[in-house]
Amino acid sequence: MNVFRPVFLYAFLFWCPLLLPAAEKRELSQEETEFFEKKIRPALVKHCYKCHAEEGDKVKGGLLLDTRETSLSGGDSGPAVVPFDLNESLLYLAITYEDSSLEMPPKYKLEEDVISDFKQWIEMGAPDPRDRQPKEGAPQEYTNTIDIDEGRQFWAYQAPHNPEIPEQVDANWVLQPIDHFVSQQHREKGLTPAADADARTLIRRLSFDLTGLPPSSAVVGSFVEAHNADRDHAIATAVKRLLDSPQFGERFGRHWLDVARYAESSGKEVNATFPHAWRYRDYVIDSFNADKPFDQFVLEQIAGDLLPANSAAQEAEHTVATSFLAIGTKGLNEQNARQFRFDLVDEQIDTTTQAFLATTAACARCHDHKFDPIPMSDYYAMAGIFLSSETLFGTAEALQNRKATDLIPLPAGAHSGTGVKPLAELIDLEFQKATLQENLDKLLTETREARRSGDGERATELRLQILRHQNQIGIADRILASYDDDGYPKPLSMGMKDLSSPFDSQILIRGEEDNPTDERVPRGFIQVVKTSDEEPISADESGRLQLAGWITSPENPLTARVYVNRIWSWLFGEGIVRSIDNFGSTGDEPTHPELLDYLAVRLIELDWSTKQLVQEIVTSRTYRMSSAFREDHFEKDPENHSLWRANKRRLDAEAIRDSALAVSGQLNLERPAGSLVSEAGDGFVGRNIQEDEINSETTYRSVYLPIARGLVPESLGLFDFADPSLLSGKREITTVPSQALYMMNSPFILKNAKAMASYLTTDIGLRGEELVSEAFYLCYSRPPTPGESERTTQFIERFLIVAKEEGLPPLEARLLALTTFCQSLIGSAEFRYLN
Amino acid sequence: MMKNTPLFQPSRRQVLQSASSGFGYLAFSALSSLATQKSFGSNLNPLAPKAPHFAGTAKRVIFMAMQGAPSHVDTFDYKPQLTKDTGQDAKGYAKLLGSPFEFKQHGQSGLPISSLFPHLAKHADDLCIINSMHTDLPNHPQATTQMHTGNFQFVRPSMGAWTLYGLGTENDSLPGFITLSPPNGAQNYGSAFLPAIYQGTPIGKQARNRFVSQEARDAVQNIRNPQLSKELQRVQLDYVKSLNTEKLARDQYHPDVEGIIESYELAFRMQDELPEVMNLSDEPASVQALYGLNDRTTGAFAQQCIKARRLAEAGVRFIQINHGNWDHHRNLKGGLEQNCAEIDQPIAALLEDLKQRDMLKDTLVIWAGEFGRTPHGQNGNGRDHNNKGYSLWMAGGGVQGGLRYGATDDYGYQAIENKVHIHDWHATILHTLGLDHKNLTYQYAGRDFRLTDVHGDVVKGILS
Repeated sequence: MNVFRPVFLYAFLFWCPLLLPAAEKRELSQEETEFFEKKIRPALVKHCYKCHAEEGDKVKGGLLLDTRETSLSGGDSGPAVVPFDLNESLLYLAITYEDSSLEMPPKYKLEEDVISDFKQWIEMGAPDPRDRQPKEGAPQEYTNTIDIDEGRQFWAYQAPHNPEIPEQVDANWVLQPIDHFVSQQHREKGLTPAADADARTLIRRLSFDLTGLPPSSAVVGSFVEAHNADRDHAIATAVKRLLDSPQFGERFGRHWLDVARYAESSGKEVNATFPHAWRYRDYVIDSFNADKPFDQFVLEQIAGDLLPANSAAQEAEHTVATSFLAIGTKGLNEQNARQFRFDLVDEQIDTTTQAFLATTAACARCHDHKFDPIPMSDYYAMAGIFLSSETLFGTAEALQNRKATDLIPLPAGAHSGTGVKPLAELIDLEFQKATLQENLDKLLTETREARRSGDGERATELRLQILRHQNQIGIADRILASYDDDGYPKPLSMGMKDLSSPFDSQILIRGEEDNPTDERVPRGFIQVVKTSDEEPISADESGRLQLAGWITSPENPLTARVYVNRIWSWLFGEGIVRSIDNFGSTGDEPTHPELLDYLAVRLIELDWSTKQLVQEIVTSRTYRMSSAFREDHFEKDPENHSLWRANKRRLDAEAIRDSALAVSGQLNLERPAGSLVSEAGDGFVGRNIQEDEINSETTYRSVYLPIARGLVPESLGLFDFADPSLLSGKREITTVPSQALYMMNSPFILKNAKAMASYLTTDIGLRGEELVSEAFYLCYSRPPTPGESERTTQFIERFLIVAKEEGLPPLEARLLALTTFCQSLIGSAEFRYLN
Repeated sequence: MMKNTPLFQPSRRQVLQSASSGFGYLAFSALSSLATQKSFGSNLNPLAPKAPHFAGTAKRVIFMAMQGAPSHVDTFDYKPQLTKDTGQDAKGYAKLLGSPFEFKQHGQSGLPISSLFPHLAKHADDLCIINSMHTDLPNHPQATTQMHTGNFQFVRPSMGAWTLYGLGTENDSLPGFITLSPPNGAQNYGSAFLPAIYQGTPIGKQARNRFVSQEARDAVQNIRNPQLSKELQRVQLDYVKSLNTEKLARDQYHPDVEGIIESYELAFRMQDELPEVMNLSDEPASVQALYGLNDRTTGAFAQQCIKARRLAEAGVRFIQINHGNWDHHRNLKGGLEQNCAEIDQPIAALLEDLKQRDMLKDTLVIWAGEFGRTPHGQNGNGRDHNNKGYSLWMAGGGVQGGLRYGATDDYGYQAIENKVHIHDWHATILHTLGLDHKNLTYQYAGRDFRLTDVHGDVVKGILS
């Protein structure tokens, strides 16, 4: 097969610092060369070369300071010199003696003016005229092995066409164009669609799908009545009411938070809290409630900071939106600054391409994508965009976290978040910090003395204490910086900014940060998806805005398809493409390709309105089907690919918890200010912030529960909450005994059962059959069947007999029986399954 | 046709309506057989012990899964040529990287094992090392799924679920398939289309979760009811069961509801049994010391190993324990030293302990990652993914000890001799359990499925 294979050859050169191209081998000005030769080189030779040069006695810490390249790449602890960045330059940290674990030269501290020369030099960009002969060996090259034109033939990269609405359908069944596509397949496969679901099933389904909450018995009652009078009208009215309720945004927002791998801590080893992440959570919920066009929603999350804003409030909104790129998992204890930067960018590429394009572009970090037409050069074209941006995620500075960044102050008027801190507390913290600082200084002095007198053991002992002090000071600093002088929390946000001097990325051979090709890939997008409206990226911008523009272009064949497929799966439990986050060749093909295209085209026609598209889907005949089982159909299509009935679906973790709170009258529908993580503040999970501090019980909706990575609340984790470390378009469903134990014995369920019993008896004063009936209504949206009534009576009788045998006082026994009855309903299968 | 199905026969109805009928009878409902299954024998309890296809050599499995793909050339695949040629050009202009660890021969068999496993090396004569493993993809998620289920593309039952389906379990008060502190990815212990009761039960939070206290990690949550006696709770659960049974009858076919019914019954019995099995305080000090239970480095994995032994003793059929952080793209030396120090002593202790209890002979112990690593270096001191050749070992349960089976090329890039694919490995595991992988099938969506799909050959050469 003779296919066109573009070949890029990159001559091998040396390590070129990629983050800051100014430090590359380039012509230095006379002034720069002079500065280096006069101030820096003599100091290096005098104070450092003895241990850090190839010619020296012996090389310590793997660090060589006698060449430009090795100074930049650094030694075992990380890069010694990071141009323009004092904080990241370990050489500077060492010579200032700020950190007792790294004091260089070890035997004496440099004169202040020498230190300030190094400071100035790094701030100048560390101009370094030293040159070294290239290493022996083959040139580093990158060869593209992918034929992109051929790759375009794959269905997902072809533009969706507006299909003709099929006419070979069951005319009595179809209501909407959607139904035509479904009905056509029924005919082709010899399937008969299930009858419409009854009114109670339908209102329950709508309620959970659109708000994540059960319908109240009053709502069920009035819907059934309206449904009997005029079914279509009743459904349309109910749908409108549910879409307009603020709970819609909480429900759909939570779906999106799965995709956005939303969490309020950095995860991995260090797990620093993100006390400002909740702003993004609220932004997502508000966006769904406002029915923000999806293209705008995407634009804001990738490049909100670069969009014009009409008001301070909008500016704040746009800033918060970019938290999307900042809330990912981070290995904050990574010593190598370049490695950290590339890992960060990788996470951003991975999340962005999967969330919006269901494309696993991150596979092309170390080699061309093995299955999809995405060469490494595409990956690094996007990497340049994110490398040219600054990711601001905050976190407290500590020895295990040298990666802390600033946050973005929001314009005045933005919601200030969690409660005011008493001034006394902040003043107290200031004092604590001062004391810590004082002690730290003493410890440092003592260490220096110990070291000088050769008492290494003592020095090691002190080191631990020093670390503890430094960490506590770091945390105190971050907390103090988060409040204004009156104790009000400053409105701060995570998010993105453009670097002042953007640049293109090199390709890293095998993904190795110290193995770059010489040439750079112009910033750009995934080539297999070409749109005619792509905007060029100018030299002075990162390209995020253009990236967002390319993703949201109506010509992009993936974006609309991927999003309508997500919506479909949120309403049916399965996508039209079942591999929700992977539209590539290892993913599934659509079960209804034309329906997928129809919906994608329709979304754009509706100006990317989520609510309108949802409205059309849930008023279709397809959505309305019952889940009734049919043996012969099941034999033909057990996984219901052809949608011959509704899927029976388990409620997700949030809906189970919210329902338990709702039926017991305990659910608080307010939105809390901030979250329990923002209340706990900056720090490290499992170190100064403990599990019970974050996961204390609340009655807010589950979407507002604190989500610290590695510490997902039990009520969510047990019922298959999405792992917040990874983007997740679809949750797993497990049925395991630990769920049964939770329903049988957990304090949360017992408490709600008690509250439900008390609501039924005390609040609405029910007894006997009425009480039983209302309890079933609350939990199942229907009255008990005769069989269930009978068994309930038997249960109460039997319970009371056994309780009496055990010597429980009658009144207590009755109460316990009632509570246990309520608990049984909450724990039963129907409570957590939609028909 | 519907009327012919046994659902509407009186016996079925009686069964469904009898709230106190036997455990797990629902998995045998006629309707699940629509989906569904070939039975082994006539017992109504889907977890009751079932006769194997033929006499096996292993009764149970302890599977130690190493997440992240441990390097084979630094552990169990001795490559002197690689050491010799270290620094030479390899594929893609990378340089070959000889192992920084020394290999020595151990035991009477003289198996070469690297210096990373001083304790385990003492058991060389028990180990059956397969050096010629290979798998389809060099990506963690897919390869991990393939290791557990045989298939990386579709949702398929895990090998623990197949084992339980094939053999049932010997203790109906504990789940027959337990995975201790599993990493994310329920599919890896899932039952897919097999009845939900065959799914693995995860116990304990992630072993390396440093964000919760040790007690919280170990505690079995919600294991006691604070307000109901056992008898009253039984009355309650009979009621819950009656509600669920009625729903199941209405829904006709609903495996998840069957799963819920069975999980309640199991949970009820677990309340007594599980805390006892998981409580390690009654282990003698000598045993605790053998495993390194109270040592900072070995403690966490020692916990898992002792629990695995206790669960095995209690009759659990398939026990998986997990260890992570093997993805050494960088810092290979330090990373391996740390990881191996954590697991070496506990694993050696587990083999020793099983042997002393005369259980090693019928317990198949497996140590495996999802693939191996490249003989060339990456990022200086690291290695990239390699699926074409890697190593794992097994011990006990009828595999030959002191055996080095198969081989990779001189450097360890590819399996070249007696290659063993994941399907072959799965077939062999089932074989030791007395199950013919070609006959362990489950009918779903109109065809018979099996763990090995249409592949797999039993690796006869490793059987004792």
